[in-house]
Amino acid sequence: MRTAKKSPPKLTRRNYSKIFRPIFGLLVLGYILWRLYLVLFVQQTYTAEIWVRLLISGLIIGGVYALIAIGYTLVYGILFMINFAHGEVVMIGAFAGYFLFEATRSINVASAGNPPLSFSDAYPFISVVLAFLIGMTIAAISGFFLEKIAYRPLRKAPRLIPLISAIGASFFLQNAAQLLFSPQVRDYANPQAISRGAGWTLMINDARVIVTYTGVLTFALSIILMIGLYIMVQKTKLGKAMRAVASDKNTAALMGIDVDAIISRTFIISGALAGAAGVMWGLHNGLVHFFVGFLPGIKAFTAAVLGGIGNIPGAMLGGMFLGLIEALGPTALGISFQLKDVIAFVIMIIILIFRPSGILGEVLSEEKV
Amino acid sequence: MNKDIIRTSRRKGLIFGIVLVFLVLINFHIMIATMISKLLGTNVLRGAFPEARFMIIFLVLYGLWVGWSAVSREGQTKTKLLEGLVAGMTTGFVLVLFGLILFYLLETRTDVRRYLTALSFSSINIFLLDLEGVGVPVHFALSTLTGLFGGALAVGLRSGAVKGFWNNIKSFIINQRQRITEKLPEFVLKYGKYLIYLVLLVVLLMMPSRWGSYNNFVFGMVGLYVILAIGLNIMLGLSGQFMIGIAALFAMGAYSVALLNSPIPHGVMLGFWPSLVIGMLVAVLGGLLLGLPIMRLRGDYLAIVTLAFGEIIRILLNSDLLTDFTGGPRGVQNIQQPRFFGTPFNDVSYAYLIIIAMAVSIFLYYRLENSRTGRAWLAIKEDTLVARATGINVSKYKLLALCIGAAFAGLAGGIFAARNQFTGPNDHTLMVSINVLSVVIVGGMNSIPGIILGSFALRGLPELLRELETYRLLVFGALLVFMMLARPEGLWPSSRPDLEQKGTLGLKEDLYPEEEEEEGRENV
Repeated sequence: MRTAKKSPPKLTRRNYSKIFRPIFGLLVLGYILWRLYLVLFVQQTYTAEIWVRLLISGLIIGGVYALIAIGYTLVYGILFMINFAHGEVVMIGAFAGYFLFEATRSINVASAGNPPLSFSDAYPFISVVLAFLIGMTIAAISGFFLEKIAYRPLRKAPRLIPLISAIGASFFLQNAAQLLFSPQVRDYANPQAISRGAGWTLMINDARVIVTYTGVLTFALSIILMIGLYIMVQKTKLGKAMRAVASDKNTAALMGIDVDAIISRTFIISGALAGAAGVMWGLHNGLVHFFVGFLPGIKAFTAAVLGGIGNIPGAMLGGMFLGLIEALGPTALGISFQLKDVIAFVIMIIILIFRPSGILGEVLSEEKV
Repeated sequence: MNKDIIRTSRRKGLIFGIVLVFLVLINFHIMIATMISKLLGTNVLRGAFPEARFMIIFLVLYGLWVGWSAVSREGQTKTKLLEGLVAGMTTGFVLVLFGLILFYLLETRTDVRRYLTALSFSSINIFLLDLEGVGVPVHFALSTLTGLFGGALAVGLRSGAVKGFWNNIKSFIINQRQRITEKLPEFVLKYGKYLIYLVLLVVLLMMPSRWGSYNNFVFGMVGLYVILAIGLNIMLGLSGQFMIGIAALFAMGAYSVALLNSPIPHGVMLGFWPSLVIGMLVAVLGGLLLGLPIMRLRGDYLAIVTLAFGEIIRILLNSDLLTDFTGGPRGVQNIQQPRFFGTPFNDVSYAYLIIIAMAVSIFLYYRLENSRTGRAWLAIKEDTLVARATGINVSKYKLLALCIGAAFAGLAGGIFAARNQFTGPNDHTLMVSINVLSVVIVGGMNSIPGIILGSFALRGLPELLRELETYRLLVFGALLVFMMLARPEGLWPSSRPDLEQKGTLGLKEDLYPEEEEEEGRENV
């Protein structure tokens, strides 16, 4: 193929991907723009209020994804492994919150009313706070034990081994939950004040858009937790130690940081965030079952990859972005709502092909990618 | 010293106690008691509960295990016995607490089955050994005693006399074997291995027509997983590409055969054999399309992209978009049966077909592994940069591995669809990919006997042990974790030693050796 020494680069088998990738990208981009054009300017079937509704649901789901994605990113940043069982930690948190709500609902408060008020209806604020605390605690504990049992002995094994172990742990937790709590889908017993569907009403073009209380709670709490985590990682001693361990374990150990303890705490923090996400998922979607953590888990991993894995603001941004894409994407592209997962996955693949380090990720060295 | 011993054995006893409580909460003890009663010849009706005495047998065995595992290797006999006793007592203490709660539930007739499904009154009764409140102290006494006995058993069996006895037997067997092999003529030694293979092959060929259609079905499942796992092993074990979406390629083969042989969506009726080839080609094309854009990704990213690819294919098959073309969630039904010289296929012929496909796959795998291509794959897996520097076209060989692996997956898919006479999106979930991955990992990467053993252990045994069905996935998950902790190289590791793995796992000292960790990352 090479005839002259100083000829311009030719299409050889080696560099076909350099030509293939831009063409592929242009094709995808063109298709997306064409669909957008069709939906927005030609068909115009969707009114403003539908868009606002989708935007709100996207933000709420995005907040939950972001919280779960932070857990993936924290663990990946330190151990370079996909914590495949993270979705199950979310499920455990959701179940813990569910049991707390059931318990508070079954306790009656002494009052004159008939029928008697239950604790969760009388003090909704306290019971919600309790549910989040319990959910986060139990999920944090399960994250701690997960690391201790399934990952710590494999710290030095090749990369494949902890991943398989994580898959096994994920199966185990899922099926343990199924056997303990039965496979049925359970209704989340929200306190009456924040029952699902209730909310403030917005008027947009004479159409009502309901902003649910659970949605606002979910969104606000996820933002608060994210800010808290960011401050913790950036300002506190623990956060500094975590960053040190993430960048270099050996040097961190030489500086007197207990690496094992920091890894344990990382799992505890990511478990707590996952537990909060689980309770939010339950409160907002109103159901919990043994499989509830699986799909959000995979989606949140997608979100973490989108934002640049190992990067905490990236995970937040990626989660929000993924939630918005999932909510707005099918409508904006004019395709069936069944395919929202396909959109999420396709976008992840495209991002990985064109920018493997994600939106915010630094350019990782080859062995990290 | 004594305090330390007591603390560790207390911890062990606590863990064992919690595990037993968990087992009771998922009704595992009833299953075990039922199995024990079956073993002892007392049949338990389906849905009925076994008698309490079988539960006691289970508890005794469990307690012996507690004592056995609490005993450490070093130390004096007295401290060892103490360890067993303390562990047994701790387990007993946990059981007493749990038993008291259960007894309270039983006395107040509180039904908690809304929250904890397994905890019915009959289940509680069996846990309390049909003795109500008396069962609680009985539990304590039982587990303390069995803990002590387990410790004593461990001390006895590990003592010098018993060890010497075992060593004598071992050396006797080795000596006998040496004497026999010395006397045998040389050609037996040379070809004896093949003789054993031949006998096995003859048995394998005899079996399908003898052992009934259900066993044929199970055997077929195992065989198809062997083919799938060989395909995955070419991608993962030889060329080091972490593929989780093999179900998508499996689906391509299955749907090609299904759509070309079913009257419903299209009515093409091409016949099985040409459509099997087409299915393999479609899968190869799928592997190529997946491989082209992701050539530069490695490790976990590759895993997650292929996982997403598999999910995309499944969701598309399930969606309205393709319903007219692939039958949507209902799948493709009434797939025409293949014919071989005019005779239609039955379960026996499918078993033979799968044996032949398996044999061909294994043959091809060995030829590939020992070829120039196979060595190039191994070089890429070990170190991509060095492989590139030695003049290996990395992209080409990686794509080749994906395509060849995909062809195997397509083959398995085609046979699967025709054999079931049906295929739908639910046959191609993420579970299939993960199952195949587990077969390769649990069996042993790059080892055909390991893969066969792995598919039998993970696909065949659960089908045969129907009692375990409810707990199948739970046990499967626990087994995966346990395997990775105890035997990461697989049940039957390949003869080509993976030096890296030994280097990284064998070292206990220096906590974070930088270079080895780097190598570990490169490994995938």
